[in-house]
Amino acid sequence: MDFNLSHEQQLLRDGLTKFLSTRYDLEASRAAVKSGAGWQPDIWRAFADELGILGAALPEDVGGIGGGPVEVMVIAEALGLALVVEPYVDTVVVAAGLLRRADGDVAAALLEDIVAGRAIVALAAAEAESGDRWQDAATTARRDGSDWVLDGAKIMAVGAPIATHLLVTARTDSGISLFCVDVGTAGIELHGYRTIDDRRAADLVLTGLRLPADALLGEEGQAWPSLDRARDEGAAAVCAEAVGGMRKVLADTVEYCKQRQQFGQPIGSFQVLQHRMVDMHMELEQSVAAVYLAVLNLEAEPATRARAVSAAKATIGRAARFIGQNAVQLHGGMGMTEELAIGHYFKRLTAVQYEFGTTDHHLARYAELTRA
Amino acid sequence: MDLTWSPTDVAFRDEVRAFLQDKLTPELQRAGRLMTSVYSDHEASLQWQAILHERGWAAPAWPVEYGGCDWSLTQHYVFSRESTLAGAPALSPMGIRMVAHAIVAYGTQAQKDFFLPRILTGEVFFCQGYSEPESGSDLASLSMAAISDEASGDLICTGSKIWTTHAREANWMFGLVRTSRTAKKQQGITFVLIDMSTPGIEIRPLVMTSGEEIQTQVYFDEVRVPKSNVIGQIDDGWTVAKYLLEFERGGGANAPALQVRAAEVAAAAASQPGPAGGSLIDDPGFARKLADARIRTEVLEILEYRVLAALSGGGHPGSASSMLKILSTELSQALTELSMEAAGPSGRAYQPHAALPGGPVTEYEPPADGYVSGEPWQAVAPLHYFNDRAGSIFAGSNEIQRNILAKAELGL
Repeated sequence: MDFNLSHEQQLLRDGLTKFLSTRYDLEASRAAVKSGAGWQPDIWRAFADELGILGAALPEDVGGIGGGPVEVMVIAEALGLALVVEPYVDTVVVAAGLLRRADGDVAAALLEDIVAGRAIVALAAAEAESGDRWQDAATTARRDGSDWVLDGAKIMAVGAPIATHLLVTARTDSGISLFCVDVGTAGIELHGYRTIDDRRAADLVLTGLRLPADALLGEEGQAWPSLDRARDEGAAAVCAEAVGGMRKVLADTVEYCKQRQQFGQPIGSFQVLQHRMVDMHMELEQSVAAVYLAVLNLEAEPATRARAVSAAKATIGRAARFIGQNAVQLHGGMGMTEELAIGHYFKRLTAVQYEFGTTDHHLARYAELTRA
Repeated sequence: MDLTWSPTDVAFRDEVRAFLQDKLTPELQRAGRLMTSVYSDHEASLQWQAILHERGWAAPAWPVEYGGCDWSLTQHYVFSRESTLAGAPALSPMGIRMVAHAIVAYGTQAQKDFFLPRILTGEVFFCQGYSEPESGSDLASLSMAAISDEASGDLICTGSKIWTTHAREANWMFGLVRTSRTAKKQQGITFVLIDMSTPGIEIRPLVMTSGEEIQTQVYFDEVRVPKSNVIGQIDDGWTVAKYLLEFERGGGANAPALQVRAAEVAAAAASQPGPAGGSLIDDPGFARKLADARIRTEVLEILEYRVLAALSGGGHPGSASSMLKILSTELSQALTELSMEAAGPSGRAYQPHAALPGGPVTEYEPPADGYVSGEPWQAVAPLHYFNDRAGSIFAGSNEIQRNILAKAELGL
């Protein structure tokens, strides 16, 4: 048993953390989201060229470094600490995971582009009628000659407005399939918006979306196991990201309570607030442990993986809620404004509870997996 | 002891319903339903106040001689419940529900004659100046200086107030200023009414996490306040403030609104997919959480009823208001979370254009075609969740309320 990072993993963490602390400005990133392009392409370029984090966990044959879930954990936590809005998890963890398991020239070429920072790929899987139950997607794909024709609607495709490519789920007679689509393709109506945590996302309406035969990734109707795994990988990555965010808000809260004077003393001297912060600390420590549980089981057989990821996501969901809400509470009114970092982190810690399966979804799945 | 309504009460309910049916336009209902915080859209709120005033129902809890209603306790409750059920916008609490009570209890005849009728019409719109950057939970430590100018008889006020809701819309502020420094910080505070058009006042809006500019910080630089605008005695404002805080914290009827919101969450959940397939309302985990919240609203209703009963006997809410404040704000927060859960993926989209925020939203460009992901309530859900975090902070944080209860109710 070994919970230590390797020398290379430590270098990865330290290099990225240093880069973000000097180059990733909270104000600038929010300004880009609110009135600019929605993200900072130069930061993404640096992720690819200066830091190499886009390929850190991808295979060498597509230009990556060949790391795995631990590298993803290290990167995601550092991104969470700096509240990075660029779509690392969506593109490099979720979409790249799906592409790796799909084989074929289209997938391989797109993976190379992801590693090189040339492609942003967003997954369009959630639908209004089935919510986060991706396996219940109602969007259809039918053959027309050698082409595929897709019809349906997707919601909350995170990263879609800034993406170069979309991975779209659709149903055929034999089950759920996955298609790779260039964003400019006719037949896609894209309604872009900001998310509550300052990301970019979109709803999509697909009307007679015509795709060539090689747009199908993997076997027709057989995409569910890969999607299920991608969702677990995404969940594990946002759990690690949330740990970074929770470290930041807990540290800020403790510091604030040491500084803020009321009733002639620092509010941190009041026992009720000390106990609250100790509870926040324990939630954080459990979250760190839960991320290990998920990450070290990500490559296990599906039922083991699912159980570990659900345990982690439920733990982080509870912790992100408790730590986020109490960080705001202990900051008082200031915690509810955009003037301090805390408000921005609170929004991210809120969204995390609902991404890649809600806390309740993972509790239900864990119960199902452990009932026998 | 009796929980049933008399025929008179039922007749009154029908009268209120008929009034609401007649006067509450779809636009006003929309303002009530799409609220993202405890504050309605300002214009809609004033419009509704004018309609209520025309009928004599703008301030039913006031003494009859100043425009209140000679209603039984049940009638007050019925009115509040029916208004909420019908989706009426909320009136600003600062004037009718707060400062007016201080003016009635501690004001001079001239102050009553000037302010009370104008509060009713909306001509005088109040904001509150209590908290200061360095005085939040420890309100009595406030330091905004008010120096008596012997020549003019004015108080000259310099300092800053924060968390002032609707300062830009208000033309008057009620606030607390420091007129003398004594060993006991509660002494030397004076309760004043400040004309917001007085020279020397500057307002800076604060952008909340919801993106809304609801709160502000207000700066005072040698602002003159005539002593005729002092409520109660100079240096004895804490007495007035404490009295008012009880009205701010409780003594109203929050349960009906919470019950309506719980019912809305139930309806919303019936339309949304659950985590295990089927409808969310059939998911046992969600159903139990919602049932727990609804049970609490029913119990809160009885608790509020008991406090109202004490009030109608001529009392004031006392420390029970601290309990009602904690229970109702934490329940409200729980409902915003259930609403977020029901909203599903679309609940993570930021779409204030589909809601009616309580203040201007800056740095936001609504989609040109007005597109909304999901239904308007799904757009309201996250904004309400963010804004409602204020419930456990404002009007004395819930930690402070628990301190009050420990001391007053348990003698600790």
